Amino acid sequence: MLKSIIKREILSNLLSYRFSIMTVLSTTLTLASIFLMYRDYGLARENYEVLASEDAAAVIPPTPLSIFAKGLEENLCRAYALSLGERISASSKQQSVNDLFKLFTVPDLLYIIKVILSLCAMLFAFDMVSGEKEAGTLRQSLSGSLGRPILIVGKWIGGFTSFILPFFLAALLGAIFVSLQPKVAMGPQDWARLGLFLLSSVIYLAVFFSLGLLISCLTHESSSSLVVSLFAWTLLVFLIPNLGNILARQLVEVPTVQQLELTRRHIALSALMEVNRLPDWPERKTRLEQARSEQDQLTEDYRNRFARLVTLSQNITRVSPTAAFTFLATDLAGTGIAEERRLKQAVVQYLSERGDDQEPDRPRFSYQRTSCRVVLGRGGLGNFLILVLFDLLFIAATYVAFLRYDVR
Amino acid sequence: MWKPLKVIIAREFLHNLLNLRFTIGLVLCFMVTVACIIILSHDYRQELTDYSRRVNLHEEFLSKFAATEGISVFQMTPKEKPPERFRPLIIGIPGNDTQDSLDENPLTILFPHLDFLFIVTIVMSLLALLFSYDAVTKEREKGTLRQMISNSVSRTTILLGKFLGGAASLLLPFLLALLVGVLCINLNPNIQWDGSAWAEVGLLLAASLTFIASFYLLGLMVSTWSRSSAVAMLNCLFLWVLLVLVIPNVGPYVSAQLRRIPSIRETERREEEVKRACFETRQQRRKEFDEQFRGKYGRLFSQFEALGFGDQVDNRKKVEELAAADSQFKAMVDAFRSELARLGQEGRTAQNNALGELWADLNMKAAAQTRLAKSLAAVSPLADFVYVARDLTGTGLRSLKYFAESMQDYMFRFGKYVSGVEAEVKAAYKNDPTPEGGWPLDLRDHPRLVFREEPLKDKLGAALPYWGILGLFNVVFFAGAFAGFMRYDVR
Repeated sequence: MLKSIIKREILSNLLSYRFSIMTVLSTTLTLASIFLMYRDYGLARENYEVLASEDAAAVIPPTPLSIFAKGLEENLCRAYALSLGERISASSKQQSVNDLFKLFTVPDLLYIIKVILSLCAMLFAFDMVSGEKEAGTLRQSLSGSLGRPILIVGKWIGGFTSFILPFFLAALLGAIFVSLQPKVAMGPQDWARLGLFLLSSVIYLAVFFSLGLLISCLTHESSSSLVVSLFAWTLLVFLIPNLGNILARQLVEVPTVQQLELTRRHIALSALMEVNRLPDWPERKTRLEQARSEQDQLTEDYRNRFARLVTLSQNITRVSPTAAFTFLATDLAGTGIAEERRLKQAVVQYLSERGDDQEPDRPRFSYQRTSCRVVLGRGGLGNFLILVLFDLLFIAATYVAFLRYDVR
Repeated sequence: MWKPLKVIIAREFLHNLLNLRFTIGLVLCFMVTVACIIILSHDYRQELTDYSRRVNLHEEFLSKFAATEGISVFQMTPKEKPPERFRPLIIGIPGNDTQDSLDENPLTILFPHLDFLFIVTIVMSLLALLFSYDAVTKEREKGTLRQMISNSVSRTTILLGKFLGGAASLLLPFLLALLVGVLCINLNPNIQWDGSAWAEVGLLLAASLTFIASFYLLGLMVSTWSRSSAVAMLNCLFLWVLLVLVIPNVGPYVSAQLRRIPSIRETERREEEVKRACFETRQQRRKEFDEQFRGKYGRLFSQFEALGFGDQVDNRKKVEELAAADSQFKAMVDAFRSELARLGQEGRTAQNNALGELWADLNMKAAAQTRLAKSLAAVSPLADFVYVARDLTGTGLRSLKYFAESMQDYMFRFGKYVSGVEAEVKAAYKNDPTPEGGWPLDLRDHPRLVFREEPLKDKLGAALPYWGILGLFNVVFFAGAFAGFMRYDVR
């Protein structure tokens, strides 16, 4: 019985206009996004090769997974060096001079999935029950010996399968295209990460599909389901992640970067001016060391507060599956906040040890992105479980709601 | 015509008012707008305090350490733009001043900003489609459209009535929420808006209404070309995804592929190559020049060469002594120095020209790419509205450029003032030995950076073309809806 319901659901979806629109949208956007981001990766790779050939102080190559989830890749691939006053600065000069990039969002696969496909998932499911009720076919289906549990499970499986298949095929095609490119070298770790990224995408989309189905089981008209679904989507995808960040900033006060940089500069310059008026070298040395210690303390304080802000922000925004998925996907791709923090720590350590040493045989900066196992161990698994939990919650709620649904 | 039109408008308005979507729209608009404005106003206050602290640090530095020697007074000049006065409504684009900082905040990259632009471009555009996608199809499905047309009500009147009544019911929650938000801003003592700021708010509101109306008309148009509400809804959302989420974001990337430009780093590398090539050319020309003089002056030139051409302090005296003793030697030295200066000038000019061409080429290509990206994105009403809104409120790229020009002008005036004071102090103490660190400078009356927004006239001039495109979208969508409805089978 379950198999026939699933088959019926898949067939009726395949022949529907909705399926055609969603397939065209998901396939076109997935492939276009992968192509565009692959070209963008090519430019980043060229920039890296220029810097690596010049023996820049500390720079890492872009990861091929940034094609799928760009995240903080631009920040990660900057060249770091020591500037005046032993200050570590990051060169922004590999970035594009086209200022229009600042106005709009990066159209990587992560964006396509978390914003566009999540909407598509909800639109696929919002009238699966309420629409059938309006058409009168739900009453007919249940008037026989068909149980409600089997019907709703069959609807979920059949509906989700017909929704996810075009996206999955498009993503697979995109991955094959990327793997065939000579500029892209993906190792076994990268493939494992990509696999996990696609798996978490499927679970993320299942969350919104289940939510759409739940809303359909809680309303009696498809127009009402639509309105409520769009409201829920706007709330989960845009509002909660953003408001969460804003709320975190109100709870943890962190000075701006401009303030930090100016105060550091003020300490350094004040010390330099005072040092000129001191009579002998030991006193000057003490004053300079005092200034450096003040700067280090200020920077340490800023970085600790910022780390607390990031942790609090992540904890608050995880209430939204979109935020949990964003953190998971960027961590898996090696372009997340944790990776950025780890890289900065490695850069600080390397440059502090190297100092102004210009010897040609000094060890070059080398950095390995976090392994998959460590990513999962340090919060990745937690985000994954949050998505699974949302899924189970919405599926359970749908089940209960449908059992009590008035089909007349 | 007017009576039936008024009746249809009232009917459409009341029908929407009693619908669930109005309630949802009202709740969403209020919640987001008011929360946004309160939080952004609080952020604005913090940024103002932060900016004042930086200005005070600068004043403190100048009063303690400004001197004729030692650290340049320009080191501590705050170079950041003051917080935009429309920061409580729209988050501005960050400048490039802290991009080289190791501690730049990465959080804002992962999640887009929540501000007035978000409310209008995402929330209101979606609501507009939600209000209008079934304006015609639903009535056809219920059978009321057939009844309306069977009376002496023209299709034009019906369409116009649906547009005006529907749009009014859509804009009501938006305007109410905005009113409450603007009231909060007005009551905030930290936010002082003058007449021109309120005029800009008015223009921003007008632009927002144009944008929202375009999406309402898009929904209406799709409804007149569809037979069922389900199909109309899918088509509307498909178009919304394309126009709002895809086209604006893809534009810059497509333009980067079509008009490739080297990165700044790549151009710097070429710059170093040019400098190296110019240096080698100068070396070569110097060799030839030396050979020429050796050939012409023989022993005299060898003597001059042995003294290192008088470049070192010790040898310079000997060269002067020889020149005073031998008129031929003096003539040779004068000719040599004159030719060398000319050669040096030529070399520098050639290098500057080559570098100028290199950077001009990059800037030209960058401008072409940005123009292409802007044009590609302008196909979407969202991009047009973003350009208009940011230009009108001074929170966009144009404003950053304007600030950079103002900053350049201020640094020139500041530099001139400091040079004047330095010259006075040096003249006053010209007979006294300079102490270590130089003579202190009193810069209390130095010119302060007072950033004035670009005149409204200029902002409007920049925004009008894109506003015009938005207006064109309205006309096109209305024409499409009109054409669709005239041919619509109401049975």
